[in-house]
Amino acid sequence: MQLAAAASIGQGMPNLSVALVPGHTGLQSKEVLRKNILEVTTDRVIGNLTTAPATAAIEKEPGARDIVVAGTLDEVNEYFIVNELSDGLPIVPPTKDRVDAFLRYTDRKADEVLGILLPDQRAATIWSIAVNGVMAGCRPEYMPVLVALIEAMADPYYGVEHSGNTPGGETLILLNGPITQELGFNYTQGVMRDGFQANTTIGRFWRLYLRNIAGFLPHKNDKATYGNNYRVVVPENEGVVKKIGWAPNSTDFGYEAGANTVTISRFTGGNHISSVSGSSPQEMMPYLAHAMVQQHNWQFLFTVGNECGGTLRPLLFLSPILAETFAAAGWTKKDIRRALWEMARVPAHHMERINREWTQKPSWNLELEVRMGRMPRVYFESTDPNRMVPIVWDPEDYMIVVTGDLGRNSAYIFAHNGVLGYPTAKEIRLPKQWQALRGAKAAGASQTAPQSIKTTKGGRKNGATS
Amino acid sequence: MTGTRIDLFEAYWPRSPRQAQIRPLAARLDSLNGKTVAQLWDYVFRGDEVFLALEEGLKQRYPDIKWVSWKEFGPTHGSDEHEVLASLAQKFRKLGVDAAISGMGC
Repeated sequence: MQLAAAASIGQGMPNLSVALVPGHTGLQSKEVLRKNILEVTTDRVIGNLTTAPATAAIEKEPGARDIVVAGTLDEVNEYFIVNELSDGLPIVPPTKDRVDAFLRYTDRKADEVLGILLPDQRAATIWSIAVNGVMAGCRPEYMPVLVALIEAMADPYYGVEHSGNTPGGETLILLNGPITQELGFNYTQGVMRDGFQANTTIGRFWRLYLRNIAGFLPHKNDKATYGNNYRVVVPENEGVVKKIGWAPNSTDFGYEAGANTVTISRFTGGNHISSVSGSSPQEMMPYLAHAMVQQHNWQFLFTVGNECGGTLRPLLFLSPILAETFAAAGWTKKDIRRALWEMARVPAHHMERINREWTQKPSWNLELEVRMGRMPRVYFESTDPNRMVPIVWDPEDYMIVVTGDLGRNSAYIFAHNGVLGYPTAKEIRLPKQWQALRGAKAAGASQTAPQSIKTTKGGRKNGATS
Repeated sequence: MTGTRIDLFEAYWPRSPRQAQIRPLAARLDSLNGKTVAQLWDYVFRGDEVFLALEEGLKQRYPDIKWVSWKEFGPTHGSDEHEVLASLAQKFRKLGVDAAISGMGC
């Protein structure tokens, strides 16, 4: 009911009528569910269809460039927290000077609209990107990355409107291109940890933007059962990728190798796959394939059926030495994808049971889906309920990124959120004055930094390749 | 605290205005008798069973109510949701739909 009430405001129908089903349908016997519908819901449905709702009004809000608070740092932060404009951490006050500094790092007009974001139906403007970037603690030179991210967020292909759904999956931002080194991102040991300004603050920016512009606030439009904290940005180690002759993740989305890109996708969970041992792909693949299956259960909803079928896109991180071991045997990402598709399989009856019985989805079976042409034939090659079926439709559905500790033989696997956060990539466009702006910043930094502290462009220099 | 400088900040609103304007809801019906009611379902939370029970309950009060099953429209949530939603107005006209019930949320 809370979600319906919150979402209806963005749709311009805050007086939309909603009928309640008592309790949770998933935990009721057939008899109890029927009783609840007949004794409670039916009357409310009748009322909603036959009684005119009250006249609607939308609450008045500030304008896009209104100063909403003036005061000390503490006072500004208190205002932002009380008015649900912050994530609970202190924010950097978005003042004119700071916002202007961000706007200098884009050639686009401040009022340009990149899209209208559901569920709040607010305009994703360059201005609002700068404001939320300041708040998150980003540096002004991160602005081109922030703009690319919101272009991706606004792409209908991604499906931002699903960001508040029950499983509470969280977006992972992948980064490719030389911007990784130029802005000082960490892309080696501890790549998913906070502690690196570019990785962390851009990750925080994403969540702030989801709150403030898209409108995903817990207890309102964000109905995650548990949720996740925002994830820090994870760049691919393109130095290693290039050294072993592999293609970076950006090329899987149609960009040239070496392009600066962001790729976003929502993941519901993930796990570290420790100590992948073996001197050949044949020795390593069984463990990786087994681990891939183990990270997925209800997510098979995104494998099957006409609701969301074929939209599962698991992500595999390989540490650099694992990638190098595969490459030494002549394997590419494509070979690993093929091996995962062939080896990461579950019994057909298991996939059906999870979706049909355990999660109470509509009646269906793999045979019907294949016969209706809604799934590939590989899902019904025999009537044997123990036949093994792949967890994704196509080998190319697997995403593979080389990142993490240079010297560890570990992997990481993310379970994907299917169509509710589909992988979407955008190119990072640098402003015409990028080099001049960067040069001026570096010169300014060298003049003002204390002698005891070494500085580099864009902050800390992290993640040099081996 | 003598000599301590206190910085003051003027902070912008971090949101942008909602683009949605108030949209009028459909006129309500005097009675459901003889009317055609569409069922829209997102294919989760046992909507198939819920609609069956609703049909039973409403039939007791409005014996002449007519239904268009959710099967006619397809899932309103998932891969094809944009296409399904875009097709509703035309389908409603074609099928003579007077009212619609959309479920299930959670």
